[in-house]
Amino acid sequence: MGQQHLAAPVTVALVEDHQVVVDGVRSWFSPPGPVELVAHGPTVDSVRGTAADVLLLDLNLNGTMVVDRIAELCQGGQRVVVFSEHEEPETVRAVLDAGASAFIGKGRATRESCLETVLDVAADRPNVTPPMAQAIATDERPHRPQLSDKERAALLFWFQSMSKASVAARMGIKERTVRQYIDRARVKYAAAGRPAPTKEKLLVCAIEDGLIRPEEVTVYTSLAARSDGGRASSGSGSGSGS
Amino acid sequence: MTGDVEQVAQRYARYTALGAAVITGLWHLGYDLTVTVAGWHAFRRPMLVAAAWTGYTAIALIATLSLARTSRGPARIRELAVAALAVDVAVIVACRPGDLLGAADWGWGSVGWLGVMLVWDRPRWRAELVAFLAANAGIMLTAMVVTGTLDRVSVAKYLVVIVGGITMQLGYTAGCHTLRARAEDAVLLARRLAADDAWRESAWRIHADRLRRYDAIRDAAESLLERLADGADPGDPRVRRDCTAGAMRLRRLITEREDVPDALVSVLRERIDAAERRKVLVAAPPFGGNLPDLPAGVREDLLRAPVRALDGARSRARVTVSAMSTMVSVAVVADNDDLPVSATPVHEPSGVVVTYQRQGGEVWVNSIWQPP
Repeated sequence: MGQQHLAAPVTVALVEDHQVVVDGVRSWFSPPGPVELVAHGPTVDSVRGTAADVLLLDLNLNGTMVVDRIAELCQGGQRVVVFSEHEEPETVRAVLDAGASAFIGKGRATRESCLETVLDVAADRPNVTPPMAQAIATDERPHRPQLSDKERAALLFWFQSMSKASVAARMGIKERTVRQYIDRARVKYAAAGRPAPTKEKLLVCAIEDGLIRPEEVTVYTSLAARSDGGRASSGSGSGSGS
Repeated sequence: MTGDVEQVAQRYARYTALGAAVITGLWHLGYDLTVTVAGWHAFRRPMLVAAAWTGYTAIALIATLSLARTSRGPARIRELAVAALAVDVAVIVACRPGDLLGAADWGWGSVGWLGVMLVWDRPRWRAELVAFLAANAGIMLTAMVVTGTLDRVSVAKYLVVIVGGITMQLGYTAGCHTLRARAEDAVLLARRLAADDAWRESAWRIHADRLRRYDAIRDAAESLLERLADGADPGDPRVRRDCTAGAMRLRRLITEREDVPDALVSVLRERIDAAERRKVLVAAPPFGGNLPDLPAGVREDLLRAPVRALDGARSRARVTVSAMSTMVSVAVVADNDDLPVSATPVHEPSGVVVTYQRQGGEVWVNSIWQPP
């Protein structure tokens, strides 16, 4: 699936279980624009079979981390961009190891940065977001790719600064060279094969940490939906594929 | 507590080792010397016995020094063991054949204690001691065969002395080894318990701190929801801003993962909380990576400039920490208009390098430490 048609907008399918995020992404990709949202759903399977250049995937779906689904999606030829708040370097590395093209951190994403990433990925160009830069630069595993000092510095500064222009000023080089260092590091990283990641369950962690109790883990149903005196039971409440 | 238990284990090892030396010394002075002096004229070659006694003493001293220093037998024992068995042979040769199993032949009953000292706490002490004692018993048996002393009384006497000697020497060595092993087990257990206690204590502190912050965020969320229920406009930029700030705090709390409190991260969290109380919108991606142990003064130097930038943020800030085993980097990007910035990197005495940059109404302060 998914060859980019130069004349037409890049198509995106979104897997996201929060309607507010779906609405936000839809507003970012609203026509006329270079990117079009063609499908969305709360589970990986709900958008399966949809022809889209890029699959935008939330990692935590209904309390379950779906890192282990990424490899199968990528092996099928799908370009996957993860869109998540779980920006820990270990999680980002697991996502990239599984074959995802990019990782967008929800905490810092803007319409422009998201569009740039999706367009780069659809055109099979390397794209390194700040969380990816951090994850690649601080990788100390035995089979990590060998980065040059400048590549590593460019990645770290990109993660910690405000823009690539500021990285260029800091390193005393042109912004174009900064991009080259970062892109080269990404290509090296993609070339270094890694084992598949292990599954992590945020919900389990939250229960273990005592932030929530197991009996509190129910699908939310608003009071308005229950105004018929309890006839309605808990529902999915999420958008379905279009 | 761990130190005390460790000391007890060390004392066990030392005093049981010195116990072997004391038994050997007392036996050698109290019995061997007395027999040698008292029966001087009864020996066939008295000077040879004197030389054997002296040689025995020398070997015992070498072993005692080693036991006193390391609570373990000498590093190279083969030559000393052969010399000890030579003492045995010398005393046998020096005795008249009729005294072979008499009081005058003190060698074969005594050299076993030298063997005990030589193999003390060596990795293969069991096999080495058994081999030594067997050699000693073999030498005496050979002497009996050579001199024709194989009557029933002599053989019985031989067996009594050999079995008695081996039982004492092997028993003492094995008993002390068991005592020492139990003491070392106690040390390991005490260490593990101490580590568990430390981990439990730190995990409890983090847990309590997270629950406290969770309560604070829940209160903020509750008040926000009440405002919305009372008719606050979701399109109002101030309401949207408060919603965003609350969501960011909650997200950060849920994605925190450390089990052990890190002083650097704790200080940053404290300052982030303070900034958020001033209504500053703070973005802080999870502080990932392995934070290495920092030498004295490095943490303070790493934090000083970024924290100043965060404390002076007007409305928004981004706090990041990157860490590897060989590097820690703390950065703050903030709309801080008042922070004095240096055009050139500032090198702190601790090795921390701080750089500043102003761009588009924001300041980027970055402190990096790399071990020399």
